[in-house]
Amino acid sequence: MAETVTELDRLRAFADELIGDSADSWDRAGTIPEEIVRKAGARGLMCAQVPERHGGLGLSSADNGELTAFVGSRCSSLRSLMTSQGMAAWTVQRLGDRKQRAALLPRLAGGEQAAVAFSEPGAGSDLSAMATRIEPDGDRVVVTGEKVWITAACYAEHLVVFGRYGDGTAAVVVPAHAEGVRVERVPEPLGCRAAGHARVRLDGVRVPAAEVLGGAGQSTELLVSTALAYGRMSVAWGCAGILRGALASVSRHARTRTQFGKPLAGHQLVARHVAELLAAEQTATRVCAHASHCWDTRSPEVVSATVLAKYVSSRHAAAGAATAVQVLASAGAQESHPVARAYRDAKLMEIIEGSNEICELLLAEHALSVHA
Amino acid sequence: MTTTPEPTADVIAERITRFLEERTKISFAVDTDVFASGSVNSLFAMELVVFLEESFDVEIGGSDLRLDNMRTVRSMTGLVQRLRDADEDGHG
Repeated sequence: MAETVTELDRLRAFADELIGDSADSWDRAGTIPEEIVRKAGARGLMCAQVPERHGGLGLSSADNGELTAFVGSRCSSLRSLMTSQGMAAWTVQRLGDRKQRAALLPRLAGGEQAAVAFSEPGAGSDLSAMATRIEPDGDRVVVTGEKVWITAACYAEHLVVFGRYGDGTAAVVVPAHAEGVRVERVPEPLGCRAAGHARVRLDGVRVPAAEVLGGAGQSTELLVSTALAYGRMSVAWGCAGILRGALASVSRHARTRTQFGKPLAGHQLVARHVAELLAAEQTATRVCAHASHCWDTRSPEVVSATVLAKYVSSRHAAAGAATAVQVLASAGAQESHPVARAYRDAKLMEIIEGSNEICELLLAEHALSVHA
Repeated sequence: MTTTPEPTADVIAERITRFLEERTKISFAVDTDVFASGSVNSLFAMELVVFLEESFDVEIGGSDLRLDNMRTVRSMTGLVQRLRDADEDGHG
């Protein structure tokens, strides 16, 4: 039987070559070279799920998930840029009207990098406390507020900013270089160090009212959960990737490193670590694949399945990355070594796009409404 | 390619009621506030959005993404009918 090379295979090969063995040095430098981000964007890697009719690659959630996991297994910073870009595109696709989709999606699919701005100094898990204001002023809106920990903002040309609009919430697309926008890099983030996290200050930024996605005053909860759905799926798959990377490092090391006269893998306590990592990687992959299946078949279960995938996958990644450092020990305990990066990166994944605790609340509520 | 007849308001309402009952084990009257019951969670509004879109071949985006549209069987039925009508016009 002839092997068919799929678009997913080609994208993985492209990402493999693009990343090479540079992820450690990007992490140390705290930045990914502009050239790399540009190439990834131009290839359509950053938001590969955008439909073909809008200039994207039209990948299914399942295939985009596998692509996300592949990049995540090599470099969580680049994967974070994919998450932000994909979430921006998804937000435009979901909240924008026909005209806005036609105008914006091809630009995002073509590589103009975007970031999505939710969090504020006083609004982290509780996004209903957002204080950023989007105020109408003739045929323009004026955006004022402060956003923190905005992933990819340092690379972004477009900022999708969520804020209060009338008696509800809206998202507005703001050019990152507009007058009144200040992007201040987070100096030394714990993880995903090259993902361009920034504090974004918006001081009376004026943009055309047509940049407000889909009109005014929607429910904060629905708006935010819509945008976050993509982000959660992407982080979940990225964490499956972290586990794949950790499993590969651990397996190689356990076979080749000898102590007490035999390979590490021959020591049962180490073998258990290897087994647990394999179980974690498989668990994360399965729960992500299920959520993507729900996404692709448009099942209402997608909503809870996505939260579950993010929750399970990020917790396994954090635990699994810690195990990987334990097994590699001195070999992995250096700044920017793949397992050291995984350890720092995975911890952040338990915090962003809905912390463990927020996911637990959502899942408990879900269980109580469906299974009681 | 309109081969399937346009579902009536009653048919739409009935399918929504059935979905609500399957998911929550509660039988909602057409004007009962689904969210006020306290037995459905915040994710459920999103589930309703996906359910309506998939079941009735509509897209609920932008300004239609409001809790008020999802609040009762009647409001959801109205939303579906309006979106289906708009779609007809769009392809006119």
